[in-house]
Parts: sequence; structure tokens; C-alpha cells
Amino acid sequence: MGGIPELGVGIGWRPEIDLTVERLPGVDFVEVVAENLHADDLPESVRVLLDRGVPVLPHAVSLSLGGADPVDAHRVEHLAAVAEAVGSPLVSDHVCFVRAGGLDSGHLMPVPRTRDALDVLVSNVRAAQADLPVPLALENVAALLEWPDGELTEGQFLADLVERTDCWLLIDVANLHANAVNLGTDASRFLDEIPLERVAYVHVAGGVEHEGIYHDTHAHAVRPEVLELLGELRSRVSPPGVLLERDENYPADSELARELAAIRAVLARHP
Amino acid sequence: MTGERDQRERLAAAQAGLLRALLAGGDVPEGFDPQRIAVEARALLAKRRGIVAMLRPDVADELGERFRPLFDAYATAHPREAGSRARQDAAAFAEWAEERGELTPPRRRWWRRGG
Repeated sequence: MGGIPELGVGIGWRPEIDLTVERLPGVDFVEVVAENLHADDLPESVRVLLDRGVPVLPHAVSLSLGGADPVDAHRVEHLAAVAEAVGSPLVSDHVCFVRAGGLDSGHLMPVPRTRDALDVLVSNVRAAQADLPVPLALENVAALLEWPDGELTEGQFLADLVERTDCWLLIDVANLHANAVNLGTDASRFLDEIPLERVAYVHVAGGVEHEGIYHDTHAHAVRPEVLELLGELRSRVSPPGVLLERDENYPADSELARELAAIRAVLARHP
Repeated sequence: MTGERDQRERLAAAQAGLLRALLAGGDVPEGFDPQRIAVEARALLAKRRGIVAMLRPDVADELGERFRPLFDAYATAHPREAGSRARQDAAAFAEWAEERGELTPPRRRWWRRGG
């Protein structure tokens, strides 16, 4: 597998802010939610961005790679088709499960950090990789609860996953902050333990703290603690890309521009 | 060493138990913090409710303050099935509310709007 090209600073493309994303200054790349796109009928705004040469990275939310069931080949096929349609250098999903026992959680659920769960995840990731035309990056998720009997730290879990599957990492510093607040994860140790040279890009997002619990809403402003974690990551490695995610409660264009500028400022502190 | 099938079975049981507790009012599985289960259950419910409100603003508007308690009752009794779509969930909730006389069936609403 080759390397990941330099991506720069980007923002999640969403239909609700399509024109905003087109207009915002300094958007070097975008991400699209793969499940919301049809490979043979891309939204006009996405085609505009592609025509400009802006890389478009499909981000999947439904492969449930950490789930007990074997990977759904149709979902992988769809992700592969979207990747081909936008000519993406890589695709991504999460280290999580979405479905179990015939139910759909509607969200990205953390997996137990056990050897059993890691073995199953590795097997699922390999199966997905075999049917994808480009490298796969996997993202750390935000958790509100902790599984009992964890055998590995989150950093060790991800490091083993990379070693065994040769996948890339998509490090979400807001999710890392969430787990630091909610589960007591040691963020510095996490960054020490993951293979930084395998970070494909980084997610930054907003959230809100409520009764001592951090909620990764993507509907609030990016908190200073999250930008600090981005700075801590940047002090260790220069990631190929950093992307701002906003999914709801969209602010004025100027506010999104300000958040992108804040990300650039953090990255520039470590030239 | 245990085989992959055993590993998948153990993981499946653990994950299914957690989702039953979070989505369908099942017992809190051993080793989990019941308070965090409650926080996560509320977060998942709020996300699902928000998606339905976004997909069917007509339903949310007509129900007004009743939307939230009605949706929460519906959701716990009808956890989303794997493979189902959000639009199906929204339609099923509307139908559920209509059956209970909480929501005007669509045809009547059309007549009313015309009159």
C-alpha cells in the first residue's frame, strides 16, 4: 500500500452546507458520508468540488467492522463504488459496531477492548480491505460508557489493529477528548501508543459538556481542549490532513471559516 | 486458542445484550455502570428522535409537546431493526401515532388543508 497524499485542511461536505463548503476559503479537501451518496448520481456540489481538483474522501458509518457479524459485502461494495466515483485516495469507517442481535443502535458504539473483539475486528477489516480499491483508515470513536474487562488501552488496541491489518488511522481528537472526560482515557498515552506514521488524517469537531459528561454532538463549537489535543498530536507528527466536522445546528459561514482558521493556527504553531 | 466462531459468538452475545439494554429496556449487562447505560440510552434515543423530527417535520409539528413522550414510548417498544432505514422508522412512528388517534391520518389532513 502506498502512502497518503498531503491533504491539508478540510471540512465535512453536507447537503445542508454545500454552497458554504464551495465558498469557504482554504478548503483543501472534503469528506462525504458514503451512505448518503449514490456512486452514479453524485450531488452537483460534489462534482463542482471534484472539477476544482478538491479531493473528496468517502467516510462510511455503517460497516460495523467491530461487530460480531461478518462484514456486509453490499455495504463494502457501495463504499468501493463511491470511492471509484470520486477518485478518492482512501476511504474510512470507524472502530465500532452499529448492529447486534438484530438491532440497529443508530450510532457508532465502542467495542470491548479484549483480544476476542480485536481478533474479530481484524478479520472483518481484512475482509473489507480485500474488496476496497484504496486504503482504509479507521477512526477512534467517542464513548459514553466503558465495557468491563478491557485487556488493552485504546492506544494499544489501535496499534495492534494497524500492525495486523496494515490499515491507516483517522484520529478524531474530539473523540479522544470525549474518552478522556468520560472514561478517563490518558490522551497523551494514547498518542504515545498509536503508530503516528499511520495517521491518514485527523478529525476535529464540536461538542458540549453536560453534568460532567462530554457529548460529541458535531452541533456546537469546537472546544479549546480539543484544539489543544490537536496541538499535542501536531507536536509529535505532521498529519497529512485535518478535517472539521459539523453535522447539525449549522452556524454562519464566518463561524466555520473561523474554526478552520483556528485549526490552521494550531498546525502553524509547529512548523 | 479459541476459534474465530467461538469468539464471534461471545462477542455477539455481549453486543446484543448491551444493545437490548440501551434500546429496548433490557437488563443492564454485568459489569456496566447502570448510570452510564442510562446516559447512553438517552443519547441514542435523542439522536433517533431528532432524525425522525428532521425527516417528518409535519408529524413533529402536529404532535407538538406530545411528540417527545409519544416518540419515546414508541421507540422503546420498537427498537430499530438491523437493516432498517431511518425513513421507515419515521413512517412507522407516524402510523403508530395515527393508530392511537394521536395524529390525523394523511388523507383527512389533505382535505382539511383544502378546506
